[in-house]
Amino acid sequence: MGTREDEYDYLFKVVLIGDSGVGKSSLLSRFTRNEFNLESKSTIGVEFATRSIEVDGKTIKAQIWDTAGQERYRAITSAYYRGAVGALLVYDIAKHLSYENVERWLRELRDHADQNILIMLVGNKSDLRHLRSIPTEEAKAFAEANGLSFIETSALDSTNVEPAFQNILTEIYRIVSQRQMRDPPEGDVIRPDAEPADVRPSQADSVRRQCCQ
Amino acid sequence: MENHEPEHDKGLLSDTFWRTPQRAVPGRPYQRVIPNEVMSGSSYQQFQASVNDAWDLGDDEIISGIADTKISKSISETAALNVINSHRNSTKNVNRSDVKVESEVKSKEVVEVKKNEGRKVGGGSGIRQYPGRPRPVRLSALASREESSESKLERFQQIHDSTVVNLDELKQISWSGIPVKARAVTWRLLAGYLPANSERRADTLQRKRADYKHLVRQYYDAERDDDTYRQIHIDIPRMSPLVALFQQNTVQVMFERILYIWAIRHPASGYVQGINDLVTPFFMVFLQEAVPGEELDNYPLDKLTEEKRDIIEADSFWCLSKFLDSVQDNYIFAQLGIQYKVNQLKELIRRIDLPLHEHLQQHGVDYLQFSFRWMNNLLTREIPLACTIRLWDTYLAESDEFATFQLYVCAAFLLHWRERLMLERDFQGLMILLQNVPTQNWTDSNISVLVAEAYRLKFAFADAPKHLQSGKADR
Repeated sequence: MGTREDEYDYLFKVVLIGDSGVGKSSLLSRFTRNEFNLESKSTIGVEFATRSIEVDGKTIKAQIWDTAGQERYRAITSAYYRGAVGALLVYDIAKHLSYENVERWLRELRDHADQNILIMLVGNKSDLRHLRSIPTEEAKAFAEANGLSFIETSALDSTNVEPAFQNILTEIYRIVSQRQMRDPPEGDVIRPDAEPADVRPSQADSVRRQCCQ
Repeated sequence: MENHEPEHDKGLLSDTFWRTPQRAVPGRPYQRVIPNEVMSGSSYQQFQASVNDAWDLGDDEIISGIADTKISKSISETAALNVINSHRNSTKNVNRSDVKVESEVKSKEVVEVKKNEGRKVGGGSGIRQYPGRPRPVRLSALASREESSESKLERFQQIHDSTVVNLDELKQISWSGIPVKARAVTWRLLAGYLPANSERRADTLQRKRADYKHLVRQYYDAERDDDTYRQIHIDIPRMSPLVALFQQNTVQVMFERILYIWAIRHPASGYVQGINDLVTPFFMVFLQEAVPGEELDNYPLDKLTEEKRDIIEADSFWCLSKFLDSVQDNYIFAQLGIQYKVNQLKELIRRIDLPLHEHLQQHGVDYLQFSFRWMNNLLTREIPLACTIRLWDTYLAESDEFATFQLYVCAAFLLHWRERLMLERDFQGLMILLQNVPTQNWTDSNISVLVAEAYRLKFAFADAPKHLQSGKADR
């Protein structure tokens, strides 16, 4: 970890969820390391990575939790929804079942995550054009009806991976900074690196690094 | 130190390696007499009825028979010394200096054993027999590993060739690592798959391999449970993406069958992601036995006869089943076994290394976040495959104790990185290090150190649970 990595204005926790094999880990490695492995090992429990981006001249550090897709892991992984301000709910555009299960994942979030969590529906593997089984329009309509943002990505050829993360992080930033203007944070400042789990939109959610030094 | 074991327990302990033979733990030897006809396996229905709880009682019966054979400590020690002496004489001409090192180490071991026993119960007699005690890191032995492995191999072969294998002795010498040539047979014996009685071996293997084929026909070749199969099918191709061996269709189908049948026979857990990694060591060891000396990473399995492939597959299946018996609660709903062990790990580290514990806590690192995978995959994701195989020599030598022992291995593993962890200044740095610990260059000697340290921790803490509790209130 270089020192530049340590300097940020906001720290947001984002979770990657969705069925097994839809490409959550690949999206994460594409976004955080610009790498892609055709076959990456299955995720056991949760895995973690970070990357910082700039929005409006502010440095936003995304702390991304990649979760195991198998149902058996739900009890473990749902513990990680706590404190998340954003979720990328991923399905595979070529696997209809992974799309059907989106509703179950939404229920999962409703039960375990903060109620203000921002959710983006992500149709991954858009490079598999000839195998597509979920039309873009259908998923888009579903997302609108459920108040989710929507994007299609390909971790393999990089299409839209950057925008997917940029969009959700920017959106979180807008909400948080607006709320901050409305009710400025009170005296008790949370050190972002000490308790990342407590950075959530419903509270005094983000701290400028300068405040605590 | 404290020893509150009731009298009757003490009696059991001093007589057998198995602590409480009457306890109904799956995979543990029972004192139950089962008529031989039940397990003769003449019809599949009989077989199925006999394993309806998924535990193979037949082999356990054999083990418990062994456990009943009371071998007094002095006799076994004398026997061990006799082996060493006769071995020293037989190999004197071959390589004098190495043999000397080996026997010195061995006699030191005996001294160690006595010393530890004395320390533990203050001269009492109710001592638990630990298989193969770790010696204070045997650097000399590690250095002359190649040469001494020859003599070690002979010792294994002597044990294998005896009419009734002395499992305690086998465990003892396996604990510190098994020579490649002796590994496959030793693993089968230690897993309780191969009977200790040599007269029963051929029959048992034939029957178990046939039984496995039946299972494949009944469950895999028939209508499959979709959810189970789908998950396995997704995981197998991405198991070891960079090793050509595992990209062969033949190999992938073998793994699929092993895992699918294991899952069907263990409905309380079913297939859980990560169990696929636990097949790999068995598969590699049995493949290595089938094609000795060959480079395995690219070995084309189709070159093997079907018979040989079937043996690798069936034996991997049965050994996996035996091996997982003692950690089944790791894979049940909510993975309670793992959650429990993660909490134990946390308590243990807090006791052993408070600064490290506080460092992790202060930066918001939760033990579950990193040690879950260590426990779920038994460290297979954290260390190279060759090291996993060496580690499993010790795990298998621990037999039913291995579930507990693994906790101490995880503790030793965490403590191994303590200096680097203490240098990390934030949550991110800690997590990224903990999820990607640099073990690429690890060899067997790293594992020997790791298990020796784990053993030391277990020795100090496992039988003193109060150790873990005291001071709890101040946290």
